[in-house]
Parts: sequence; C-alpha cells; structure tokens
Amino acid sequence: MTSGTDVWKGYLLAWDETYTLIQSPFSKGDDRVFGADSDYTTLAIAALQHRVSLGDTIECISLAEGVNGSIFTMATDVDVADESTYDSCKWDLLIGDDATVVLVQRDVQIELPELETFVEVDEDFQLAIAGAWEKELQEAHVSQGAYVSRSQYNEGGVARMALSGQQFGELLVWPPRQLNEKGDREDGRVSLTPTGNVASWTKLSAAGAPSEFSLRAPLLGGLTTVFLDLDDGPKGVFLMVDDEENDVKIGDAVELVVRRIYAQEGMIRYGLRGRII
Amino acid sequence: MVDVAVVGAGQTKYGNHALGLKGMWAEAALNAFESVDGDFSPSQIDEAFIGSIAFGGSQLGNTAALLTEHSAMDGVPVRRVENACASSGFAFRDAWMAIKSGQADVVVAGGIEKMNDLTPERKRFWLGVSGDTEWERLAGLTFPGTYALMARRYFHEFDSNHDDLVHISVKNHAHGAMNPLAHIQKQVSFEKAAGGFMVADPLTLYDCCPTSDGASCVILAADHVVKQFTDTPVWVRGSGASSDRLALHDRPSITQLKATAEASKRAYQQSGITPRDIDLAEVHDCFTIAELMATEDLGFAQRGQGGAFAREGRGMLNQGDVTINSSGGLKSKGHPLGATGTGQIVEVFKQLRGQVADGRQVRDAETALTHNVGGSGATCAVHVLGRERQ
Repeated sequence: MTSGTDVWKGYLLAWDETYTLIQSPFSKGDDRVFGADSDYTTLAIAALQHRVSLGDTIECISLAEGVNGSIFTMATDVDVADESTYDSCKWDLLIGDDATVVLVQRDVQIELPELETFVEVDEDFQLAIAGAWEKELQEAHVSQGAYVSRSQYNEGGVARMALSGQQFGELLVWPPRQLNEKGDREDGRVSLTPTGNVASWTKLSAAGAPSEFSLRAPLLGGLTTVFLDLDDGPKGVFLMVDDEENDVKIGDAVELVVRRIYAQEGMIRYGLRGRII
Repeated sequence: MVDVAVVGAGQTKYGNHALGLKGMWAEAALNAFESVDGDFSPSQIDEAFIGSIAFGGSQLGNTAALLTEHSAMDGVPVRRVENACASSGFAFRDAWMAIKSGQADVVVAGGIEKMNDLTPERKRFWLGVSGDTEWERLAGLTFPGTYALMARRYFHEFDSNHDDLVHISVKNHAHGAMNPLAHIQKQVSFEKAAGGFMVADPLTLYDCCPTSDGASCVILAADHVVKQFTDTPVWVRGSGASSDRLALHDRPSITQLKATAEASKRAYQQSGITPRDIDLAEVHDCFTIAELMATEDLGFAQRGQGGAFAREGRGMLNQGDVTINSSGGLKSKGHPLGATGTGQIVEVFKQLRGQVADGRQVRDAETALTHNVGGSGATCAVHVLGRERQ
C-alpha cells in the first residue's frame, strides 16, 4: 500500500510516499481542536513515528514554530535543523491552525485530503482544560514539595519518551540505571517496543492525585494509571491518555504514545501515556 | 554481646495537634521519662536518634538539635533519621546498634511529624514524597495509587476481594476505638467501610490511614544498667531490616514486600522464635492491603492466604492467632510518618508490661513484633520484643 487513511497513536492519519498528515480527531463546531493532553509537539512526534514505521530513514527535519524541538529529538532521536543544517534536511514538519501537522518531503507538491471523521467535544470542557493548561504553564506554578525538577526530567527524557532501556547480559532493563550489575557505566541503549499488557490499574480521585495534576484532575474526573508488563520484559507505570474512554481491565493490550503529562515552572513535562488497543 | 532493653516509652496522642514540633516532642519525651520505673534523668542519655521526614513544622534542617534543646538533652549527640514512614523504626534500630556496639549505655530513639499545619495544596505535594518521584509521580501516583495497584493485582492473583480489606479496617477501628491516644477513636460498621468514598480504586477512604500529627519517644538501655531503671524491662530480642527497589515496576512482584519478608526473617532468626510465638504485632497498615500482605510476609499466614486470615478475624484482639494492631494501627491510631515506628514500640512496651487498660490488653502477652515500612516497601524495619531476655 502506498497511501491511506487510518488512526495512528490516537490521531487521524493520512499518508502517501511523500507525506504524513496527523490531525486531532476532535472538533468544536467547525474548528479542529486538540485533545486534553495533545499539542503540535505530540502530533509531530506521532507523524515522525509513522514515517519510521513505513521504513523511512529520517536523520533530520526542519520544524515549524510551535513544536518543542528538544522534546521532539528526545522522543524520536531525529535532529532538528538549524540554519547550518537546514539545506541538508530532506523533510519539513509543517503545522496548520486546525490541530494538524504534516511531515512532508521537501519541495514536493502535495494535495492534502480532507479527513471527515471527528468527535465533537463539549465546549465548556475544552475551554476549561485549555484554561487549566494555561494556568499550569505560568512560571508561578511551582512545587512546594516533591517534584520532578527540570534537570531530573531532562536526565530521564530519552528513556521516558523513546522507551530507551539497557541490556545487562540477558536482562533488559528499563528505566535505565546509572551503573550496571557489575558496578560499571552502561551507556548502550536499546529501544523497547512501546506496547504491553495491563497487570494492574487504578483510577485516582482528583483528591488523591499529586498536586501537579490538581487543576486538571477534577475536570477529567480523576486519573487512570496502569501498571504494564511491557512486551519486551520490563514493567512500568503510565497514565492513560486523557482523551479516550479508559475502561481498563487486567490483561488489556496497551500502546504507549507521547502526550503532555503536566506543566510546571513554565515547562511542559511530556511523557508516555497508555491507550487501549 | 550486650543485650538491649526498652526501659521507658511515651508518646503524644495522634491527631490534629495544636502543639508545634517542640511542644509535641517535649510531651512525648516527658511521657517516656516518666514511664521509667526508677530514677531517670535526661543527663544519663548518651546518644539520640529522631526519625522524621520534616513534612511540616518547617524546621527542615537540624530538626533533631532543636528537639533535644527542648527536652533537656543539651549536648547529647543527636541526628535526624530519614527513611520515609520507617524513619523511627530505623532510629530504633540505630539506637539498638549503638548500645550493641558498646559505644553507649542509654539511648533515646524517637520520631515526630507535624502534618496538619500545611495548606491542602502543599500537603498534596508532600504526600507520596517518599515514593519514586521520577516515574511513579509522573504517572499520577501517590501512595493511595501505588497501594491500589498492589491491591488490584493481589485480588487478581489470589482468592481475595475488597471485602477482606474491609474486615481489616473494621478490626483496626474496633481496636483504636479503645485507645485514648488514637487519632480516630470510633468503630465503623462493615457496611460503612465497604461503601466509603473511592480514593484510588479499589481503595476507599476506609482503606487509608489519616494524616496525623504526633511524636513518640523510647528509652533503650544496656543490660548492665537496666536494673537502675526497672525490674520489668522489655527486651529487644531481634532487629531485622532490609530494603528493596524504590519503584514498584522494578520489583519482581507487587503482591508482597520483599523488604518485609527479609527483615522479619532476620529478626526471627536473631530472636530464635517463629511467627507462631508472637502474641501481638503492630503492623504497618498505611493501607489495609499493606496489612493483608504483611500478614503473609511476616509469616502469620501462608502466601495467598492473607485474605482468608482477615476474613476469619484471625488478627482480632484476643480472638485470633495473633493480635494485630491492638493500638488501632496506622488506620485508626494514626500515622504521623516519622513517629510511627517508635509509636509501635510504645504500644508493645505497654502491652508486654500489662499496662494497657480499657479492655485493650492482650492477654498473657509475652512476645511482640513491630513492623515499620518506608514508602511502598523500599525500606523496612522489624523488631521482636519480649518480657523474657531470651
């Protein structure tokens, strides 16, 4: 198959040999809007992951403003072009004002399809979530206790978003450790398959959620967290996505997608969330 | 090697305290001093270990020095011990080791936490502070969430369901209703506990301990000085401790706490007794599922039989195999994090000396166990204490 439309990482997808279009499935009236934990960065990462799934090798792309380049690179291991490398990049990531991104080969003329499928969102809910993100993003929104600092977040960024682990002999380890079982530095990285099965789950009431989520958890009716047995062996705990029904059961198959987790100190913390497949 | 005994122990009531750190600690220390049968002066203390997470109270550094200053322990070498909710269980172990090493004869171990002087927003930042911050917290988890994951998996693997946890809640509230020092001194019905507000599915409000203020203080002495203080010491017959990986996802199983199993194995070996010899146990029931798993990890029930153990009331005061949480446990007595471990020692000290009133006394109590867990099981201290020296 050389072209098609589908659902990819929870988003609408259209593609051919020269482009991948990723669009939010949500609409408010005539406008496409982001889901509760998505933005241009998460759509851009999904687009790149789609090209990789087709077998394309992409070493560098130019990113439109509005996509967080460092998060994009952590999640995809693809460099973002600067002035000196722009000409050598063969792919451009373009964004539209309708919660859409297009990853397209440079200098290729394309005609984008209209994707008709969408889910109408509740306007009040959408406004409330957008307002909560805005408040969270204010510099004054800081921790008054335990939290994941910028440096701690960045240190684990690749492991967090690319599911990058380590091979200690026969043992595949994720999240990575500083020293291996012999006490030596272990710099090699192995990318794990981002799928697994639910070994346990819980739904936290808004009152039981950490303060990082205190603005959005009440709007979402709580937070759903799963304990996954990853297909490659390691285990992990992950939030489920905020924009789908999370009627989770033990044994459910789940894929991990990059989404917003929360914002603090003016910085959005992205990470992997689960969605039932 | 020298043997170690507890010769005095006291605590504050747990709950919402008007007192601050200094006042609560002074009250617990004074109660401990006054509990010593013979003459005792704080000037006899050689060393002190005080457990605290520094949740509230706002004296984040050098807390221990502030506290000794206000409890007539000027000049005593003191330090704060931090091991999450197991802080004072480890402070007690450190005190025991200080005497065992021959470096000290009289040592104080205690703990304190002020949890209710923070705004709700700030409190939520601190709750779960001892879990895995980088991965679990980013997955929306604080401790109700991590223990909920354990509970649901336990129900999946074994013949158990939420009703078993309700039995634990009802039992501990029944015990705590008789304890004048408990935070929540009221019984709850099975129906009420079963229908509680859902905090972290499947755990309801009645599966979760309260956030309490409180302080506890214990005085330990070497065998060659014990006689100065009492004719009825409580001997520390075994001290076991262990640790495990911080995050649940790094453990082979989430339906048992390896640190508890290893710590208790060491304590039993050292004391030369088995779980069947234990008359009462103060078990770390921060959540009801924690007590259920602990009954297995401590050897009171077979693996997978913790639910039946709870269902059949085998931990009820003077009715079952072993009295579990005669104080009401963390669920009812309360859980002022850093104070909990030595607070458990206070309870067994009184029980083993027959000093508990109001129908709460464990009959013919000879041997007791305390079990203090840090976080979701990353650290654990278990102590076996008895009326007999060996």
